Amino acid sequence: MEFEHLKDKITILDGAMGTVLQQRGLPAGGQPELLNLTAPELIEDVHRAYISSGSRVVYTNTFGASRLKLQRTGHEPAEIISAAVAAAKRAAAGTGAAVALDVGPLGALLEPLGSLSFEEAYGLFREMTEAGAEAGADLIVIETITDLYEAKAALLAAKESTDLPVFVTMSFEESGRTFTGCTAASMARTLEGLGADAIGLNCSLGPDKLAPLIKEICENTTLPVIAKPNAGLPDPLSGSYDIGPEDFAAAMLGCLDAGATILGGCCGTSPDYIRNLSAAMAGKRPAARHYRGGAFVCTPSVPLPLDGVRIIGERINPTGKKRFQQALLEDDLDYILDVAIQQEDAGADILDVNVGYPGVDEVSMLPRVVKKLQSAVMLPLQLDSSDPAALEAGLRVCNGKASVNSVNGDPEVLERILPIVKKYGASVVGLTLDKRGIPQTAGERTAIARRILDAALAHGLSRDEVWIDCLTLTVSAQQEQAAETLKAVSEVRRTLGLQTVLGVSNISFGLPNRALVTQSFLIQALYAGLTLPILNPNQKEMTDAVAAFRVLSGEDEACRAYVERFAGSAQKPSAAAPAEYTLEDAVIRGLRADAGRLAKAALETEDELSVVEKRLIPALDTVGGAYERGEAFLPQLLNAAQAAQAVFEVIRASLAEKGGAPVKKGRIVVATVQGDIHDIGKNIVKTVLENYGYELIDLGRDVPPEAIVQAAAERGARLVGLSALMTTTLPAMEKTVSLLRQLPDPPATMVGGAVVTPEYAEKIGADYYAKDARQGAEIARKVLGA
Amino acid sequence: MEVDIDEALRYLGVRGTAPAELRRETEAAAARLTSSLRPRYVYQVFPLEKNADGRHLAGTDVILAGSSADVMLAECGSAALLACTLGAQFDAMLLREQARDMSRAAILDACGSAYVEAGCDEAERELATRLPGRFLTDRFSPGYGDLPLDIQRAVGAALNMEKLLGLHVTKSLMLNPVKSVTAVIGIADTPQMARIRGCAYCALRETCPLRKGGTHCGI
Repeated sequence: MEFEHLKDKITILDGAMGTVLQQRGLPAGGQPELLNLTAPELIEDVHRAYISSGSRVVYTNTFGASRLKLQRTGHEPAEIISAAVAAAKRAAAGTGAAVALDVGPLGALLEPLGSLSFEEAYGLFREMTEAGAEAGADLIVIETITDLYEAKAALLAAKESTDLPVFVTMSFEESGRTFTGCTAASMARTLEGLGADAIGLNCSLGPDKLAPLIKEICENTTLPVIAKPNAGLPDPLSGSYDIGPEDFAAAMLGCLDAGATILGGCCGTSPDYIRNLSAAMAGKRPAARHYRGGAFVCTPSVPLPLDGVRIIGERINPTGKKRFQQALLEDDLDYILDVAIQQEDAGADILDVNVGYPGVDEVSMLPRVVKKLQSAVMLPLQLDSSDPAALEAGLRVCNGKASVNSVNGDPEVLERILPIVKKYGASVVGLTLDKRGIPQTAGERTAIARRILDAALAHGLSRDEVWIDCLTLTVSAQQEQAAETLKAVSEVRRTLGLQTVLGVSNISFGLPNRALVTQSFLIQALYAGLTLPILNPNQKEMTDAVAAFRVLSGEDEACRAYVERFAGSAQKPSAAAPAEYTLEDAVIRGLRADAGRLAKAALETEDELSVVEKRLIPALDTVGGAYERGEAFLPQLLNAAQAAQAVFEVIRASLAEKGGAPVKKGRIVVATVQGDIHDIGKNIVKTVLENYGYELIDLGRDVPPEAIVQAAAERGARLVGLSALMTTTLPAMEKTVSLLRQLPDPPATMVGGAVVTPEYAEKIGADYYAKDARQGAEIARKVLGA
Repeated sequence: MEVDIDEALRYLGVRGTAPAELRRETEAAAARLTSSLRPRYVYQVFPLEKNADGRHLAGTDVILAGSSADVMLAECGSAALLACTLGAQFDAMLLREQARDMSRAAILDACGSAYVEAGCDEAERELATRLPGRFLTDRFSPGYGDLPLDIQRAVGAALNMEKLLGLHVTKSLMLNPVKSVTAVIGIADTPQMARIRGCAYCALRETCPLRKGGTHCGI
């Protein structure tokens, strides 16, 4: 069978393997992959039955043949996979049917929701795809995936380890999202960008429910589209599926009409279903499809068509920001995440991410920052670097369709960066400059834009993936250039029809009342055709201007967003504290903004240390005491801690400005032990301790004992806090404590968590048992001093 | 389906009357949660067969060993396995909240615990209506009493939890996404006593702060 023109003809896949095997006596939950070794003739027989029913592609019996799922069987993936491919090839021999290596999900959640890393997932998939290619599979199908990140790991593994065509199908719920919240549009755009050969849906729903989703996928991809649904839903009492073979085949016509051309069945289907499907499709033609096209970026849960003005937040960038530089040098990724969150909450649509600074290894930092941001921010990212290795490392782990900032008209730069942009399906910002510098006229800048576009098209990018930055120059230095930039924006938009990017803040450098000039320039640039302003979304003047522009351009239909923005804010009750509140009051009541403001005021008359020791800590103790007496509860304790954090942020900024050493009272390593994934308890302890001024090194969850010991030793921590939630992970806690005690100068240990008791703490040799975060702070004070 | 606000407040350690503001915040978090997602569940009924290892759910690898299962299922000819989860979207929501505001995150976490229990209640009600004339035992989970936690994997496989709910059992037998419950419900022809609810059967009874304070969480 050939894999060309799959959009122009109907291709019939097979049906379920597991269901058929269960009908032949495999217990529910038995591992069907082992049958490749113990009963290969049975597997071959199922394939044969499908081929004689009309299947042109059969999926090997390897859905769960990853090392993770086979680990309790004593068998190797390669052993199972080669037997499975061999069985399918025997069945397919002489029939013209193709053999697809079936790759299912790994059975564990990937980071940030689970603890399986992207790199580990990639390795596990690669082991499967290599074995499949080696065994002679004709193509690879990655199916039943619900996490776009996992699909990306599998697709990259398949593409980087074989030359075979790769199909990817994911499972959606009726809501139009996968279990992890991925949308059909995000899935389609991301997987096409990464080079899949066909994409679509399988499992989860019956064919009657699939058509709207197929349609949405077709609107977002030019690839052939696959539909391989279940035979309806399983009945909870009998376990059988509720759509029969004839109804199934009839309902599949809806998927054909919606644009799918590669059709088969998943759970609950059998050769009978495929026979009916083949008969129903005989003589049918593929339906006309409507690709929506257009520029687009996304994360799994946020599809973002660029069909209006979209704000790119500029704040994740160390240039000229001492506090940000300090965070990079101290590896304080929490601070960088905070900067991202503020921008998301202030109305940014895309976040620019620049972590280039002397002394920072961008190649390792960029991917770590990308992962950190994507753990708590949903916006699409724009990776901003001139280092191709850093860009590749960042794009590789970025979930969704990203953009790259930037290339320019220099052919060497284009050759270096564009292949990476293409490989990861990103879009790219092209700066209208080259080796000779920034041209002075709009015409010359447009000419460079054209060169960038041509180079990008030659590398396989689409026009929608090329965004042009006509460059803002400082108006106080080169006054005539403001008009020239606006003219260039207008030309690029009009003559080339591309998305336009412009960092607007630079315009007002050196002038008083900068916001006014920047805002005026922004408005003019938007009118000239700017679609992607890069700006500081925390500046209300800028986001207000964009909100107003969206009304005037018609993008904000019926002015809904505008009305919500401004009518809403007028009604908001003022949360400001009464004027007579002291810093202590603000901390005790958990008023973060007021605590920060009052701390700034306090620093005018007191030094940093005295604000912390004489005012902040006593206020925290007041709340802590009320909590212990049962007069205040956990959320209030945490509110006070966060107000204290606002105070610390003011103090850190003040010290960073003066170049002084940060107020830090001692280092504490905290971790949730190996095997344990629920870490909110540990995070609560971290929040409280941090706001007593201790330096917290948070190793996260599911942390191996050796990693905890290594971090404690290398970072010189004098206290290690360990949390465990489950009886099954207590042995990991015990092992960690015992390894820590073998260090030459062992740190004190405190343990806590739902199943930990004081007696258990004593038994495993921990120094302290902490029943809650408040007690953790008391222990820290005892061990490290106040 | 709703979040029981009092239950969420109990998970936050509140005994007696909650401060008005905390109750308001909990109600707001619950409203955000219920408008964002719904608990998803699957259940399936299996015949019970007694063998040397304990009670076996026919057609699965699940063996319900120990005296807790013996007492609970003494009069049952079949049992349902149930799995309910708030899904990975809750975990993502909680991660986002933790990065923004730990206080609100703690409240959301408590609401999530109450919400997944509400999901189990609904599944149980649905099961009951499908079985007119039959009687259900209290639901009980792997790890309660002496029912081994290590049946978790077999329960997951029998219910096809990964495919149907996106629910995984980790190496250390935790459920992931975290707000998830698996349970067994016995099905009998005669009315069943309420037995399991209470601290005596809870694995956390030694350290539970509510119990130390002379009260209980209600389950």
